Amino acid sequence: MGTLIIVLTYIAYVFIVVVYTVKIVAWLRMPPHIRWDLYPVIHEEHYRYGGSYYEQQEWWTKPRPKNRWRSLLYSLKDNFYMGEYYERNRIYWLFLLPWHLGFIFIITFHILCFFAAVAMVSGLEIAAGSSQLAGKGFYYLLLVTGGIAFVTGTFGSIGMPIVRLADRGLRTYSMPMNYFNYLFFLVVYGSGLFAWLLLDPTLEEYRAYWVGLITLTPPTLHPMTVLHIILFDLFLIYLPFTRSTHYITRILAYFFIRWDDEPNLPGSELEQKICGLLGRKVSWEAKHIPAGKTWAEAATESGLPEKK
Amino acid sequence: MKKNVHVDDFTCPGGQVTELDPAEFMPLPPPYDKFEKPPIKKLTDDQCKRMDATLDGIVAIGMAPPATPEEEKAFVEKFLAGLEKLFSVEDNWTFLQPLLHTLEYCVKCQICSDACPVYVSSGRQDIYRPTMRPELLRRIVSTYIKKEHPLLRKIKGSDIELNWQSLARLAELAYRCTLCRRCAQVCLLGCDNALVSREIRKVFSQQMGIAPKEIHEKGSVQQLRVGSSTGMNPAALKDILEFAEEEIEEKTGRKIKIPVDKKGADILLIHNAGEFIAWPENLEAFAIILDAAGVDWTLSTEIAGYDSVNYGVWYDDFQFARVAIRQSLAAKSLGVRKISLGECGHAHKAGIVIADRVLTGDLIIPRESSLPLLEEIVMSGRLKLDPSRNDFPVTLHDPCNMVRLMGIVEPQRRILRKICPQFREMTPHGVENYCCGGGSGFAITQSSNFPDWRNSVSGRMKMKQILDAFQDVPEPDVKKYVCAPCSNCKGQFRDMFEYYGAWEKSGILYGGLVELIVNAMTDLKQPFIQWEWH
Repeated sequence: MGTLIIVLTYIAYVFIVVVYTVKIVAWLRMPPHIRWDLYPVIHEEHYRYGGSYYEQQEWWTKPRPKNRWRSLLYSLKDNFYMGEYYERNRIYWLFLLPWHLGFIFIITFHILCFFAAVAMVSGLEIAAGSSQLAGKGFYYLLLVTGGIAFVTGTFGSIGMPIVRLADRGLRTYSMPMNYFNYLFFLVVYGSGLFAWLLLDPTLEEYRAYWVGLITLTPPTLHPMTVLHIILFDLFLIYLPFTRSTHYITRILAYFFIRWDDEPNLPGSELEQKICGLLGRKVSWEAKHIPAGKTWAEAATESGLPEKK
Repeated sequence: MKKNVHVDDFTCPGGQVTELDPAEFMPLPPPYDKFEKPPIKKLTDDQCKRMDATLDGIVAIGMAPPATPEEEKAFVEKFLAGLEKLFSVEDNWTFLQPLLHTLEYCVKCQICSDACPVYVSSGRQDIYRPTMRPELLRRIVSTYIKKEHPLLRKIKGSDIELNWQSLARLAELAYRCTLCRRCAQVCLLGCDNALVSREIRKVFSQQMGIAPKEIHEKGSVQQLRVGSSTGMNPAALKDILEFAEEEIEEKTGRKIKIPVDKKGADILLIHNAGEFIAWPENLEAFAIILDAAGVDWTLSTEIAGYDSVNYGVWYDDFQFARVAIRQSLAAKSLGVRKISLGECGHAHKAGIVIADRVLTGDLIIPRESSLPLLEEIVMSGRLKLDPSRNDFPVTLHDPCNMVRLMGIVEPQRRILRKICPQFREMTPHGVENYCCGGGSGFAITQSSNFPDWRNSVSGRMKMKQILDAFQDVPEPDVKKYVCAPCSNCKGQFRDMFEYYGAWEKSGILYGGLVELIVNAMTDLKQPFIQWEWH
C-alpha cells in the first residue's frame, strides 16, 4: 500500500502540473486580440475612480506609467476575499469562500509538507516540542494550513450544494457535474478532517508520508490516512478536468484582456503580429465578405453590392 | 410566481419562451409609478407569421421562418459552419482569446445577473440573465462542434437539440443585451458574457448576412456607400453646415466659418452625423468653442470622414474595420496631425480603442477624445464663463463606451463642476454607471415593437437614476438638464423622455456638454440652451 500511494502521488502531481501547464501555455499562446479593456484598470494612475491615459490630451506623447505590483496584489487578493460575492450574494459567499479557501490551503499545506520533509531529511526535528525554532514553526504552520484546509473545504462542500439548490438562478444553471464535484470534494476534505481530528492530530503521519515520498521509502500509515491520500491524489488528477484552472486564468484574463490597454504604436512588435494576422485568409460566407480574401483585403474592400 | 425559464425552453417549437408582464417590471418613482403607457405592443398575426417573435414577443431582427424543411436544415448547417469559424485564429483572431476564456471559465454563479440593468428592470426575467446566451452557445458547441459523447453531455448538462426556431431566438436574444459590460465588470473570473452577445451577432452577420437593418443595411452599409449612416451625402453636409453658420450668427451674433477639408489642419474633428440632423446645436457649440479658443481644426467631407459612427463595433468585424479605415484615410488625405472625436460614446471606443489593433502602418493616425481638449479650454480661462448662467439642476450621464470601456471619467466632471453650480451625480456613476438603454444599436433600432421594449425595459434603470438624481426638485417648472455627451444616448433620451412624458411631468431636458459650455459664455447675449426645444 505504501508503494501504491507513493507511485499514485507522483503520477497525480506530474499529471496536474503537466495538464495545467499545457492549458496555461495554450491560453497564453492565443493570438493578440482587439482591445477590450474594462475600467478601472488597476495599473493606471487614476485607478481609484477608473481613469485612463485617455483623459489626457495627446496621450501618445505622454508616459503611461503602469503599477504592475498593484495589479498583481489586486488580482491575488480576490482569491482570498471574493469581494464581489460578499457585496452581491452574501449567503453564497459564506460557502463559496470557504470552499475556495479549502483548495488554496490544501495545496499550500502539501507544498509546505514537501519543504518540511526536505528539512526533516536534512536533520530538522518538526514537532511542537522541537528544540529548533524552525522545527516548531513548521509544525504549527502545517497544523494551521492543514486544519484550515480540512475545515473550510468540508464546510464549503456541504454548503455549496445547499445554496445552489436554494437559489433559483443557481439551481437553473446547476448540472449533475456540479453536484458530483461537491460530493467528491466533500469526501476528500471530510476524510482528511476525520483522519486529522481522530487519528493524527499532530499530522505526524502526513510528514512521514512526505518523507517517504522524497526518499522513495514506502511509509506505514493508518488506513484512514491512506484512504485520504488516495482520494487526494484522485482529486489532483480530476482537477484539470474541472474549471479549476481559473485560479490562474482569471489573473491572466485580468492582465491580458481586461487591463490590456497597450496601444498599437507604429513599428511596434504588436503591429508586426497584427500585420501577420491581417494577412490570413478568412472564410466567412455572408455576401458582404468577399470569398478567398485575407482579413486585410476583406476589410479594405467596400463590401458593397456591385452596381448593376 | 414567476416561471423559471431553462435553456431547454429555447428549443421547444412554437409558443413564446417568456411573456413579459409590465406589472413585474422594476418600479419607477412617482409619478411614474402609476405610469400606464400602452404596454409593449403585441404583434399582429400577420407580423408573427412573417417574423419570429417567439423569444419574448419583441422583434429586433425579425427573421422570416424557412419555407421548407430543407431550408431549415441548410440554415442550421450554415450557422454551425459559422460557429466553427468563431473558434479559428484565421477567422476570429480579433476576439478569440476573450471569447474562449468566457466560454471555458464562466462558472454560472449569477453574480453578473444583478449587475445587468435589462435583467433587473425586466423584473428579473430568466431569459435576460447575462449567462443565458453563453449557456446556449456552450451547449451548441458541446453538441455540434466538439461533438462530445452523449453521456458526457448529460453529466455536463450540455445537451441541446438545434432547430431553426432556437437559432432565431438566440439571434433575437443577442439583441437584448446593450453590450454595456457591467456584467463583465463584476466577474471575478474575468469572463465577459456581453462579448458573447456580440460574437453571436457576428456569426449571424458575417456568416448568414443577418442583422437588424438599421444597423447593417441602413447603418454601416449606407455609411460606406454615401458617407454617413444618416444617408447624408457630402453635398447635404455642406448645406447643413451653411445652415449651422447662419444659426450661430443668429444666436450669438458671431460670424463663424466652419472649416471644411482644410489641408494640414491640426485636428480633424469627427462628429456623429446624427448631430448634424437631430442636434445641430451640438456642432454649432463645438464650432463656437473651438473658434473662440483659436484651435486649428477642420471637418472632412470624405466618405465616413464626417460621421464618426461605426456600427460594426456592435456586430461585424469587417464592417467595423472598413469604416475605421475610411476614417483614417480621410484624416490622412487632409494631412491633419490628429483625429478628435466629438460627443459620441461608441465612436470614441470604436475609433480610438478598438480600431487600434486593426489600423497599421500609415493608417495609424493619433486619435483622441475631444473631452480633454474641452477641459483644457474651459480650465485655461480662454473662454469667459459665468456659471450662474447654468444655475439649474444638472446631472451627468456616463456613456458606457466612453467611461467604463475607456476610462474617460473626470474631464467632463471637472468642466461641469466649474460651470454648473447645481451639478449632481447619479447613483451609481462613473465606471459603474448604467447604460442609457440605447446601447449597441438599440437607440437606432425602430422596427415593430422594439422601441417599446427599449423604453420600458432596457432604459428603465437609467430613467430611474435620472429621476432619483432630481428627486429634490421634482416639479416640472424647475427645468433640469441631463448632460449626455453621446449622440446615441441622446437618441435614447429623446425617445424615452417622450415615452414617459419626462418634460411635462418633471421638466427634464437632455443635451450635450458643449451646449452647457457655450451657455455659460459671458459674451453671448442670449442663452444658448433653448428649453422650448425639449
